Amino acid sequence: MTSATVRATQPRSRRYTKDSISLGRVIARMATGLIVLLIFLLPYITMLFASVKSKAEIRSVDPTYFPQEWHWENFVAMWTTPETPLVQNLLSTVIIAVFGTLLVLLVALPAAYYTARFRFPGRMVFLFLVIVSQMLQPAVLTSGIFREFLALGLIDTWLAMIIVNAAFNLSFAVWIMHAFFAGVPKEVDEAAQLDGAGRLATLFRINLPLVWPGIVTAIVFTFVSCWNEFAASLVVLQTAGNQPLSVALTKFVGQHETSWHFVFGVSIVAILPVVILFMLIEKRLIGGLTAGSVK
Amino acid sequence: MNSLPNTSAGVDKRHSRRGSSARSTEAHNRRWADLVAALPWITPALIMIFGVVLFPAGLMFYNSTRVISRSGLDKGTAGFGNFAQIFAFPDFGPIVVRTFVWVILVVVLTVLISLALAQLLYKEFPGRRLVRLAVIVPWAASVVMTTLVVYFGLEPYFGIFNKLFIDLGIIHDPAGFGWTKQPETAFLWAIAVAVFVSLPFTTYTILAGLQTVSVDTLEAAKMDGARPARIYVNITLPQLRGAISIAILINIINVFNSLPILRTMTNSIPGYDADTIMTMIFKYIQVQGRVDYASALSVIAFIIVLIVVALYVRVVKPMKEV
Amino acid sequence: MKQTLRIGAAAFSVVAALAFSGCASGPSSNAGSGSTSLNLLVPTYDDKTKGLWQDVITGFEAKNPTIKVNLEVQSWDAIDGVMKTKIQGNQAPDIFNGGPFASYATDDLIYKAEEIASPGTFADFQESFIKNEQLNGTTYALPLIASARALFVNNTLLKQAGVAAAPKTWDELLDAAKKITSLGNGIKGYGMPLGSEETQGEAAIWLWGGGGTFGNETTLKIDDPSNLVGAEQMKKMIDAGVTEENPGSMNRSTLTDVFIQGKIGMQVLLPPIVGQIKEKNPALDYSIVPIPTKDGAPLTLGVADRLMAFKNKGDKQSAITKFMDYFYQADVYTAWVKAEGFLPTTKSGSVALSSLPELKPFLDVLPSARFYPTTNAKWAAADAAFKSLFGKIQTDPAAQVLTSVQKQAMAG
Repeated sequence: MTSATVRATQPRSRRYTKDSISLGRVIARMATGLIVLLIFLLPYITMLFASVKSKAEIRSVDPTYFPQEWHWENFVAMWTTPETPLVQNLLSTVIIAVFGTLLVLLVALPAAYYTARFRFPGRMVFLFLVIVSQMLQPAVLTSGIFREFLALGLIDTWLAMIIVNAAFNLSFAVWIMHAFFAGVPKEVDEAAQLDGAGRLATLFRINLPLVWPGIVTAIVFTFVSCWNEFAASLVVLQTAGNQPLSVALTKFVGQHETSWHFVFGVSIVAILPVVILFMLIEKRLIGGLTAGSVK
Repeated sequence: MNSLPNTSAGVDKRHSRRGSSARSTEAHNRRWADLVAALPWITPALIMIFGVVLFPAGLMFYNSTRVISRSGLDKGTAGFGNFAQIFAFPDFGPIVVRTFVWVILVVVLTVLISLALAQLLYKEFPGRRLVRLAVIVPWAASVVMTTLVVYFGLEPYFGIFNKLFIDLGIIHDPAGFGWTKQPETAFLWAIAVAVFVSLPFTTYTILAGLQTVSVDTLEAAKMDGARPARIYVNITLPQLRGAISIAILINIINVFNSLPILRTMTNSIPGYDADTIMTMIFKYIQVQGRVDYASALSVIAFIIVLIVVALYVRVVKPMKEV
Repeated sequence: MKQTLRIGAAAFSVVAALAFSGCASGPSSNAGSGSTSLNLLVPTYDDKTKGLWQDVITGFEAKNPTIKVNLEVQSWDAIDGVMKTKIQGNQAPDIFNGGPFASYATDDLIYKAEEIASPGTFADFQESFIKNEQLNGTTYALPLIASARALFVNNTLLKQAGVAAAPKTWDELLDAAKKITSLGNGIKGYGMPLGSEETQGEAAIWLWGGGGTFGNETTLKIDDPSNLVGAEQMKKMIDAGVTEENPGSMNRSTLTDVFIQGKIGMQVLLPPIVGQIKEKNPALDYSIVPIPTKDGAPLTLGVADRLMAFKNKGDKQSAITKFMDYFYQADVYTAWVKAEGFLPTTKSGSVALSSLPELKPFLDVLPSARFYPTTNAKWAAADAAFKSLFGKIQTDPAAQVLTSVQKQAMAG
């Protein structure tokens, strides 16, 4: 019936063997994959190397590809610098990103599902309005956001940044999920409703498993952008301990000199949790639908 | 919220049926009922977005018509004086043109490369999982960090990319080449970085779309002896339409609004030969301290992107009909 | 579904609790009855800055238990934007360490200097610095630190190139730079950083060195014909190929690292660089000499940063005064200035630090120091115009560049 369900009923292994490909082609794919891998990792490998170089080596006019000495202690020292309380910064980032994403999911999922499934007057207007909010340059909005949350008494709180991040990311989340919901044939819903399922049940039991890759894409998109948000955090969060890593990073940039090894070290620390998160959900992200998920 | 039924009338006009007055009242009532049924699902999103964005956006529009001192105080009305200043700025025209070049080049390159990448990552081969993870990394890293490390590598004297070019014999000056010190090369590198950081999201959206392409249709086509290129264009691409059109839409808005890449890459260059609207807004705020000019230019930017997106939505129709 | 909702609800109650209890230390929250809190906003000079301020605050709070000081540190890149946002939101810090003050004074946002420092503290500032903090005869800010520029010379390179003595005039400078550049191997004679970071500094040194001016408190004169002499000389240096590549977009801090590692023969630098050389390349054989000018007349660029106090709600004036009086005491202040490697602005501080050998060359040239016209209302815009446009002198005619800077400055 649907493409998704048809595929879902095919065991993975069968597809692989059926796709009888020559060894040469596999090797070509592996080679291309290796080149892609290197290109995508190169900047971050140089970042990692830079983070374990000494302060002098990192600014050497005779640059080195590999660190002459591996100063892994940079990764220890950066947690206790006078510039910024990094442990608290990491905690702030995690809290803001996790709850920001949850909030987006809670609000965007119903809207995306409903607009993709049901016709109602103002549907297109709603979708367009939602995306209009994304067309404003955040750098210009920060001043208004500061005054707004000042009036609400939420300046310098995580809650403020959770709300701001959720609002900033809601529209893309709605649109991405909308696109995937819209790809599921209406008959799936109708069949479920004939079986007596309510709308919520239809959404959660029937639709969600089908559009899971799209949902995860939206979650990741939101999470990453909350994780790295800078412009609003800079003005809304004032206490050093409340600030996220993106703001903490700037504290190493001085007028006369910059602690580049810490800038890059903190960057690595900021990237790692997200990469690990990706590793955990990679299968979900694109692994497709496992057999029998639709019953 | 109350205005929704009215504003929607135009959109849904072609679906409304004109019949006897009784029938039209009935239809009218049904439309109302449809809207009321939709409210619980969409209202939270509306409150969330506009609760946060409306005031700052309103302030931006208001500020664009005010005179604001360097320290940030409102000094009274400017009428359209700020807009006049922006249009009188001799570099305004080139900056707008460059903004379009920036968006078009970055989005087109991103989509083309992503299509190829997604195709590779869709195919099975040993080590695929690692490659897929590597492709995600630029997404996990913030744009600022990625740009900074590339900028750092391209610096004369200190940059290891420059060292690599010297060691490969491409560059002969032992101090390296000033890639980020000249508007043309800095702009091109900024485009490269922008494409690089846009690839993961775009690739993964397309990849997620590929999962929903019917394998049966593909194999039927294969059995019929269709060439792979034909299968791709005639069967795969049309089914990717939804994913691609959303990815393009999001990329257009994001790339248009993108500030950190160009700011970092072209920051030290004198003049306005590598600026886009966004970096110019930034320069008005940060360097010149003119929040009023920046707001006016932001309003102009908003109108431009609104028109572009409206045209895109109209032509491409990324939201599917129910 | 129910489970999702429950998790969501639980999540939010946690966040709400965190938000309202843990970190609700808002900007103007008072610690207790009868106590005052001061918000102090400062930029990062280097990696010692935050710790130094914390030491000052700890000492101050120990002596003044009813006053609590909240420290906020921002990078130089971010601090202007943060300041503007705070002022628009009526949340200016009580004490601010910043650069230009004229716009705050004209907008009537800051106290007069006499209102925030006791007579004893105020009388201790050196006259030349106080004059730099005045607008229409009124002093608005307390000079915090000063720096003066001088020419740093790489003795090893000069010797290798056969230059006998450090240059005093432009002709000697060009000649020495040519000789050093001809050593090859990527070595350049003179470092000329005209990138957006601090263009106005290098510009002032050259334009004033040729007899030019930026104007005074009332008029701004970047396009003054007298500035053409210096501008033309800069072009001469660039065209002769004795500067680094792309001087128009080379930032000072970048180029400084190159000088420290011995790849630049001569560069105009400032006091904190002495400490950086000691840390990064102690083997560097260098001297600090007066800046060469057209005719060899002494000249240096003096720059001062300042503390200013904003008029906020609540009577904080006396608390601010207490803080200033504490901070500018010779021992507290000297320790701060010395650690940052700048020059002191107080008389007692100068006495205390005059014996430091690394500061001597700068203290020597300080009497001939000239300052930016920071008291001109248009100076901030002119400063921005220099940063945005002056680097074009690398390629464009000198007169055209000066005109464009003046034009943008006047429009701001």
